[in-house]
Amino acid sequence: MEGFLLQFIDAYYLRILVIIGINIILALGLNLITGVTGQLSMGHAGFMSIGAYTAAILTLQFGLSFGIALLGGAVMAGLFGFLIGIPTLRLEGDYLAMVTIGFGEIIRVFFLNFELGGKATGLYGMTKYTTFTTVWILVIIIVLLNAKLLKSRHGRALYAIRENEIAAEAAGVNTTLMKVLAFTIGAFLAGLAGGLYAHYMGYIAPKDFAFMKSIEILNMVVLGGMGSIPGSILGAFILTIAPEMLRIVDEYRLLFYGALLVILMIFRPNGLLGNVRIYDLKKRFRKKEV
Amino acid sequence: MKKRLAVLLCVVMMLTLVVGCGGNSSNNEDVIKLGYLGAKTGSVANYGIPAEKGMKLAIEELNENGGVLGKELVGIYEDNKGENSDVAIIVDKYISRDKVAALVGDPCTGLTKVAADLAQKNEIVIFSPGATGDGVVEIGDYVFRNTLLDIFAVPAVVEWMIEEKGWGNMAVITTLDIGYSTDLTPVFKKAIDEKGAKIVFEDTINSGETDFTAQVTKLKNAKADVLVFTGYYTEAALFMNEVKKQNLDIVLVGGDGLYGQDLAKLGQNAVEERVIFYCGFSSDQPSPETAEFLEKYRAKFNEDPDMFSAQYYDAVMILAKAMEDAGSADPKVFRNELAKLKDYPGVSGNTTFREDREPIKSPVCLITIKDGEFTLLEQIDVK
Repeated sequence: MEGFLLQFIDAYYLRILVIIGINIILALGLNLITGVTGQLSMGHAGFMSIGAYTAAILTLQFGLSFGIALLGGAVMAGLFGFLIGIPTLRLEGDYLAMVTIGFGEIIRVFFLNFELGGKATGLYGMTKYTTFTTVWILVIIIVLLNAKLLKSRHGRALYAIRENEIAAEAAGVNTTLMKVLAFTIGAFLAGLAGGLYAHYMGYIAPKDFAFMKSIEILNMVVLGGMGSIPGSILGAFILTIAPEMLRIVDEYRLLFYGALLVILMIFRPNGLLGNVRIYDLKKRFRKKEV
Repeated sequence: MKKRLAVLLCVVMMLTLVVGCGGNSSNNEDVIKLGYLGAKTGSVANYGIPAEKGMKLAIEELNENGGVLGKELVGIYEDNKGENSDVAIIVDKYISRDKVAALVGDPCTGLTKVAADLAQKNEIVIFSPGATGDGVVEIGDYVFRNTLLDIFAVPAVVEWMIEEKGWGNMAVITTLDIGYSTDLTPVFKKAIDEKGAKIVFEDTINSGETDFTAQVTKLKNAKADVLVFTGYYTEAALFMNEVKKQNLDIVLVGGDGLYGQDLAKLGQNAVEERVIFYCGFSSDQPSPETAEFLEKYRAKFNEDPDMFSAQYYDAVMILAKAMEDAGSADPKVFRNELAKLKDYPGVSGNTTFREDREPIKSPVCLITIKDGEFTLLEQIDVK
């Protein structure tokens, strides 16, 4: 697949496309927690690092195959998502944001002291299993499953929690279970993306998963539109490409990047595709046909 | 209205993308391109910015003298922010789009490894003027570096501390969240062990911390002769401020991570003659080559060069020499000449590549601060 693609585009574009794919998985995971369920989580990079380190250690130290390591990393991250999900039952909004920031930092500091993870130097030497094909097949699968989930009874329950938690509970939604579910799936996806990232770069260090990474993922979700799958994809796409294409303005790159975010938020406060869902799009098309 | 504006903005963004691609895809055969690796923004930009200046100076100088192999030398300078994914993207861009002959960088070990993996796979020479850590040249035969390696410098420095200064009881402070520091500490410990000195106190700090009262109080009770500090200059300066506040009489010894102008600015008279660090370059008491470089650098940029400007300058010069000697700018050809480099008199000291392409640089400069300026204390030879 790579060889075929390289006939049309160069390695530079191919790399950006793979990074976009990984970012889409991250954004879709956070979209489920923050966008759909409305729980502001600012520690998504923490889940990503758990997945990355677990998968990397599994292939490096235990010689497991890539698929199992990837799954192991995702499950480990999902487990932590479950554990973090439990205190979120008591916390809302700003308080939850603080807890998740704290969680992200704890994870980062843990890996700084983690002997098996190479401490501050990080881990190096993972075989680069991750390819364009694996990443994008996973992206497609995750988008389809995600769309199915959001369209289902459970998905509507998650939206209901965002809109009004008390009303949702009164209507019979098990808010506790649903919130934990959202956190677990979101963390699982972040762990998966982490495993892919570790085996794409071949090198990971705790500083790759610092607070700014969490903010970057949150930006993708907010910019694309909270709760929208096409939005998260678009957000991941734009925020990965923007810094690259802004290379032409050289030193002012980050200034333009910031300005771009401000402008978009002023004109599209709900995000580019705020509240656009895949089945809304389908409906609109059908109406036009009739 | 707003909707239209948003759509318009998106279109403009996509357009810039297309323009950005069209701009630099020319594959002119008459130039030799070198790709710069380094950060111009972010937390390690203080290495990347002077490095870029050193590289620019070298390229300008070579072009004034007719270029390399009669072709013009062109440097391409992208900012990698000191982040892994950015480094990988930039290296792919340099190799597939700009068709560079060699990569010059990165100053950091971890980022160099990421870049070296890709360079080796594509058979492009990568020359790092800064990576001091383990496992860099082992990546492959296209990977070179030219910097004073800690494993060679530290034993010499420790020996100097014991024999010249009589410091037998040492305290070691590690900055926990910086790979440079956690890598350097074991090297120091091993050397201290081998030379028969004793570690009487060990502690850790984190970067970004400003209050070291607890560590200094403990250090005071440890009765150490000297403090070995493996972190960066900011924390070193703040640490010494606290040492002065508590009236402790101790000298801090560290690696070239302490080589930053902010050390003297932040430390003021607390670091005055109380900090000693080793590095491969000093602008004090220069050799003839270094004196010439200093003069040109000061004239062009109106400031003093540091170790990274000197080593990037040398890297470009060494690459140019290898290309001239090989009569080709093809990495597959000139890498053989590069590997043969022996006793090259660079502005950052003499360099010889060992069989395994590890650089042996001599001498090691011990630098201290006098009247707020970096001053050469002593030069020791590396065996």
